[in-house]
Amino acid sequence: MNAWVGTILRVDLASETITKEPLNLKDAHDYIGARGLGTKYFCDEVGPKVDALSPENKLIFMTGPLTGTGAASGGRYNVISKSPLTGTIGAANSGGYFAPELKYAGYDGIIFENASDTPVYLYINDDIVELRDASGLWGKTVYETTDLLKEENGESFKVSCIGPPGENGCLYSGVLNDKHRAAGRGGMGAVMGSKKLKAVTVRGTGSVSVARPEKFMEAIIDARAKLKAHPVGGAGLAALGTQVLVNIINESGALPTRNWRDGSIFDEADATGGESLADKYLVKNKGCFGCSIDCARVTVVPDGPFKSSGEGPEYEAGWSYGADCGVSDLAAICKASFLCNEYGMDPITLGATIACAMELAEMGAIPEEDIGFKLRFGDPHAIVHLTEAVGKNEGFGKILALGSYRLAEKYGHPELSMSVKKQEMPAYDGRAAQGMALEYATSNRGGCHVRGYMTSPELLGVPFKMDPLVTEGKAATLKIFQDLTALIDSAGICLFTTFGLGLPEIAAQYREAVGTDETDEEILFKGERVWNLEKHFNIAAGVEKDTLPPRLLREKLPSGPAAGRVAELGVMLAEYYELRGWDKDGVPTTEKDGATGIKYEAKVLCDV
Amino acid sequence: MKLKFFATYRDFTRCKEADVTAPPDVWALLQHLKGQYGDAFGDKLLTSDGTDIGCETIILINGRNAGHLNGKDTPLSEADVVSIFPVVAGG
Ligand code: SF4
Repeated sequence: MNAWVGTILRVDLASETITKEPLNLKDAHDYIGARGLGTKYFCDEVGPKVDALSPENKLIFMTGPLTGTGAASGGRYNVISKSPLTGTIGAANSGGYFAPELKYAGYDGIIFENASDTPVYLYINDDIVELRDASGLWGKTVYETTDLLKEENGESFKVSCIGPPGENGCLYSGVLNDKHRAAGRGGMGAVMGSKKLKAVTVRGTGSVSVARPEKFMEAIIDARAKLKAHPVGGAGLAALGTQVLVNIINESGALPTRNWRDGSIFDEADATGGESLADKYLVKNKGCFGCSIDCARVTVVPDGPFKSSGEGPEYEAGWSYGADCGVSDLAAICKASFLCNEYGMDPITLGATIACAMELAEMGAIPEEDIGFKLRFGDPHAIVHLTEAVGKNEGFGKILALGSYRLAEKYGHPELSMSVKKQEMPAYDGRAAQGMALEYATSNRGGCHVRGYMTSPELLGVPFKMDPLVTEGKAATLKIFQDLTALIDSAGICLFTTFGLGLPEIAAQYREAVGTDETDEEILFKGERVWNLEKHFNIAAGVEKDTLPPRLLREKLPSGPAAGRVAELGVMLAEYYELRGWDKDGVPTTEKDGATGIKYEAKVLCDV
Repeated sequence: MKLKFFATYRDFTRCKEADVTAPPDVWALLQHLKGQYGDAFGDKLLTSDGTDIGCETIILINGRNAGHLNGKDTPLSEADVVSIFPVVAGG
């Protein structure tokens, strides 16, 4: 049925009622799927002022039309809710094997409403859908929960779940599937935990059919061939993983160091990069459903104080625990990153929150007795110890569990939280890559690198080169990248396919799967519609305006190619709003809403 | 002048860094590298017709992409640090 399986599961956790309803095909057409469609359902049903951790908030798992179809890297879903970390719309994206299985069971998505009194998990075995007792799973890690559910129900079941931080309200706890794949950012795990929903486990034996099978096959063969031939999407990511970026970002003077305090060149970067990881700890690479890029790392630290094993670290985690904390011990970085997966926490926010605590502690703003030891930049034991403390909700970990903004505010220096809309920025300094600065400021889910990925043209020269130090042209490129990213996330494929594919290949797969004759531009325009809907929600929710931490706007980079530079946000922002058709305060105007066809219903615009 | 090699290019150079006498420009440097580390490396560094910096190579001069300077004609001096990468991405 045109790439969808046609049914949404609605699960009322309070009354334990499960209903199967037809997918809203009109919204699926307009908002694509996954991130966009889930956001549309959410905005229609939940008020923007809802307390994110209250039963009134809803939690949506949504697949995309290309999920489970054979499209290149087409195995993804989004978890959508209001974010307890940022107060924005939250949409976190994950790969692995869970989402195709959900579709094969016959469901395009799941909407969870209200909250259960006792821990439960959702069991899905094709037509059989039940809420089951999860008391025995409560308190278990992601790995333990996954193993126990597979033991109980069978190895073929896929599991998406939270760890203890999700249960304990850690504001950046994630929802993890297949143990290591994370819908990581924005605290979707805390929303799930507030509903006493520990896990979803699914087995499906059905299939997904597409509208025009032959043409779809041609489109995916073309896409896969182009990915294989690309130096990054082909051999590059498989060989060295995302951590390969450490050196090039550092050499470009854009690797934020010690909570962005000491500029963006980390002298010991090479010891933490993908090359060192491959030399020392990499066992093999691995991929998600339907993916030929295979960027994931299976990693073992065989001995020493940080003996551990897991998947990763990815570049962002390698940075947050590495350069951002001033740590050059790769074994410690690996272990801290593995712990984030095991417990279910976003390593970008957690590493960056520890970095913020390190700066505050060095200034004397946090009393040593609050932390329990002398915290300083560069301490490999501290990053592991504090990560564990957050995972177990112990001691200072309880404060770190709220993220860097609330930490820095508590100790009197909110300006030292390197966050946008209370979510930590990742591993590229906007002072050295001006387009990234604009991207962080305008991201609809707070500090984030995958709502546009300007790094690619600015620092990597993919798919074309843009001078990172200039502001000209950045607003226009970012707008296209943001809309394209919204399209990709909503279609159910991986953003990394852009390391080889462009709009024509992505639109072609979508077109043949759903059976539309819309042009590339019309399909991209749906991404813009998703972007505008998210923006509407955020404005109605009262989210703070688009800006950056003062450090980026005022403190000049001390060295490197961008020495003396700050983020020149003002000029880019004005141009960006104009290109988006928004007013000078960044509010979408009626005229443009008409163009994107958004009807943001009363429910969202009134205070609920 | 200091040269730094990264990612899979270290498989060709078998070293992370090298000191060389500064050639006049990037083009001369590429010829030197081809001579020093072999044709297979040269093929990566240059376009297939051998007339420009290859699109699978990133050359940073003091952190600035040669593409944002004067490309293969960018002049070099003893104080420069030149970092050479295959095209990489991720994040
Ligand atoms: S590129 Fe990496 S993250 Fe994306 S689908 Fe493939 S293996 Fe998964």
